[in-house]
Amino acid sequence: MTDEIYVFAIMLLLPLSAGMLVAQTNPYHALIIRGILGAIAALVYALFGAADVALTEALVGTMLSITLYAVAVRSSMSLRLGVLEPEAMPLSAELTQALRQALQPAHLRLELLPYGDPTALQQALGEKEIHALCLPIPVSDRTDKRNYRLQTRTPRLQQLLNTESLQAIAHLDETLQHSESQP
Amino acid sequence: MIDNISYGLMVLGVVFWFWGTVPLLGHRSVLYKLHSLSVSDTLGSMAIVVGLLLKIPREWPLLLLALISLAIWNTVLGYVLAYCSSQGGGND
Amino acid sequence: MNGILIAMIGALLLPIYEAWQDEDIWQKMLAFASIATKTSIMILVVSVLRDDWMIGVVGVLILSVGNAALMLLAHILRRLNEG
Repeated sequence: MTDEIYVFAIMLLLPLSAGMLVAQTNPYHALIIRGILGAIAALVYALFGAADVALTEALVGTMLSITLYAVAVRSSMSLRLGVLEPEAMPLSAELTQALRQALQPAHLRLELLPYGDPTALQQALGEKEIHALCLPIPVSDRTDKRNYRLQTRTPRLQQLLNTESLQAIAHLDETLQHSESQP
Repeated sequence: MIDNISYGLMVLGVVFWFWGTVPLLGHRSVLYKLHSLSVSDTLGSMAIVVGLLLKIPREWPLLLLALISLAIWNTVLGYVLAYCSSQGGGND
Repeated sequence: MNGILIAMIGALLLPIYEAWQDEDIWQKMLAFASIATKTSIMILVVSVLRDDWMIGVVGVLILSVGNAALMLLAHILRRLNEG
């Protein structure tokens, strides 16, 4: 019993790393911790003589599932923002910076999709191709220093974008509620 | 005699592991940590595998494979990690 | 041999702590790389300790394949930072 003390020490590492995995909030950090958990789990399985289970854990549980989940998380956790072509409306670095900052707490990426004209943008928002759109306010219509207006599809996104630094640059419009009821 | 050499190599390998892993805890740049980690992990692991090889020489093909894959993969991995982390501007 | 294994577990705890406390994603990747190598070497040591070569083969396979997973993940994370 005493000479197998290392078995208990290694076994304790498994719940330790599993607890670390559950405590993560950032999905990418959680993926890396999942890899650590997989490596330790393979060690524990090999320790108890289950060589086939250890090999499956390392190949499928760690390598395949992490890669698939990384691709899935990367493609789903992003905010698709519809903008006009860069020639028609150059986005200021200040705006993209403020947008990224607002999306940081939710661990979302910013993805810019250029469109030809404002009507195409509105149509894309109605057809749920994009999550939000950004349009310049013409100089004649400006009431204050804000030169952009942002429109989101859902109230939750508007809530997320409602930060001070973004409010200083862009005007947040009402969400597109009527498009939800239209077929 | 052989047993003593093999134990000595394994202890040396574990000392290498500690030597390379302790800088990981400090607040240094990624590349500095990567350097110490890859050097000491590869050398320490190779020392441990050579120690095992001296202990049980009859299973030399398996341990030789472990040595070769350690030397090649860890070198390539160090390069890939350095390349990827410096592209995204992640290293400060 | 037992003492060496206990020391190895101690060396394994350092990168686990590092992965837990550091917020930078590349530092976490480094800790993961360190853990992947260390656990497979520990599997090899256990297989010699018990004279069980089925475990030894698995250890060598994990040693060579675990690093491939790391490289795939590193490339995906790099694409992520590019936007």
